[in-house]
Amino acid sequence: MSSLEQYTSLEITPPLEIPPHLVGEVQSKLAYVDEWIARGEVSATGDSICLQLRQPVDQTHQADIEEKVHRVVISMVKGSVKPKVQVLEDHTQRPTPYTDDPMTELVSLGEVHQETNGVFTLGPTVTRLIDFFEAQFLSLADSFGAAPYRFPTLIPASYLERVNYFRAFPHSLSFVTHLREDLDVIDHFAEQAAYDEHGLNTPPGSFDQIHTLLSPAVCYHLYFALADHPLPGGKMAVTSVGNCFRYESINLASLERMWNFTMREVIFVGPKEYVLDNRELARQRMAPFFEQIGLAYRVETANDPFFVGEFRKQAAFQSAFQLKFEIRANLPYKNSTLAIGSYNYHQDFFGRHLNITLPDGSPVHTGCVAFGLERVALAFLAQYGLDPSDWPTPIRSAVE
Amino acid sequence: MEMNQPTSLDKRIQSLLVEALQVPPEQVTPDLQFGDLPQWDSMGHMEVMIMLEAEFNVEINADTIAELTSSSTIRKYLKDNGHV
Repeated sequence: MSSLEQYTSLEITPPLEIPPHLVGEVQSKLAYVDEWIARGEVSATGDSICLQLRQPVDQTHQADIEEKVHRVVISMVKGSVKPKVQVLEDHTQRPTPYTDDPMTELVSLGEVHQETNGVFTLGPTVTRLIDFFEAQFLSLADSFGAAPYRFPTLIPASYLERVNYFRAFPHSLSFVTHLREDLDVIDHFAEQAAYDEHGLNTPPGSFDQIHTLLSPAVCYHLYFALADHPLPGGKMAVTSVGNCFRYESINLASLERMWNFTMREVIFVGPKEYVLDNRELARQRMAPFFEQIGLAYRVETANDPFFVGEFRKQAAFQSAFQLKFEIRANLPYKNSTLAIGSYNYHQDFFGRHLNITLPDGSPVHTGCVAFGLERVALAFLAQYGLDPSDWPTPIRSAVE
Repeated sequence: MEMNQPTSLDKRIQSLLVEALQVPPEQVTPDLQFGDLPQWDSMGHMEVMIMLEAEFNVEINADTIAELTSSSTIRKYLKDNGHV
């Protein structure tokens, strides 16, 4: 792995000053400006962008990078609306004993093994912790009478197109294909396929067109299963757990930001009041559990990581209508917080786009409560460390 | 029953919605609201907001985005802010 000293720095003055609430959002998009960017940082004051390039670039390439960075900034900043941040719960002052980065110890103990960028194997302690949290989330699902479902890891491209996913989140897609059904193609592939540091080398024309992707979310599968029909009974609660995939390039980091992660969801479909009431009830029911395990966190309004073109409008809309509340747990080792879950309301977006109707013919409303299982475990370990004797009693007795 | 004649403000709001939502004028009725047309979705709504800002100098913030979700609330808001 290259050290930062080997990189070439490129300082760029943004065409507009980036307001504080967009510093992190713009910074996260720098990863997708150019393949030579190894790291990008927006200054806290929003008036400077520093890129680390993998190799020196010529003037033409540099001008191209600068132009693309300007495009990102203008698209995301010009006319942006300051979000109205509403904090529903704030327990960030809850005392927690641990201050180190747990990843160091997790890796040295073999509890976490990185297979490739953003892809991790988890050992017994982390797995038992996740099982413990899963039991709590299942208990939450039970409290709503949520029916258990199992959804696939793959999702048809046609599904994602129908809900505008390609436009909203193109940067995070993970594609699935297979060899073309042709004996010559398969034989050539078998003879010539070889992996090196640049990737898998294959004969040209080996792969079929892309019809499927790795699923970026759990709840989409339910909405498509219900599509183009009236909703039986007029309302439903469902729970499921699944692998989710969101490619985040150089932003992928430890268990904080994984390419392949696991999400437990409790999903509500029905009239607006049913969905909104249950979303709020779920938040209220989770609070005592988080208190019991001593988690330091807050719940506040948030927006999804829309890509550059749709970010400004979609993020402002989400924020104004309070469609998303994130559970942000303290990460003491970096004096920061990490979203470990969210309480979401989609209005009638899926009802309208997928033609799912209530008995009166109007589109259903949907919402989901989602927990990132690896992130929940990481946040807990970041606050309490790996020594179970330092853990709050309920979790120690359950996991040991 | 005598019909109320559309005012100049009504016509300006209708033109704005037609342009922002890219729909035929006959679809923009006085009681139109967010979600009534497929075009008045989240992205369409933000187009409406951006055009309101440009055309009427309305400040676009979280409150106005959440409140101005129908032709009638837009009309009331503009009237309350001195547009006739």
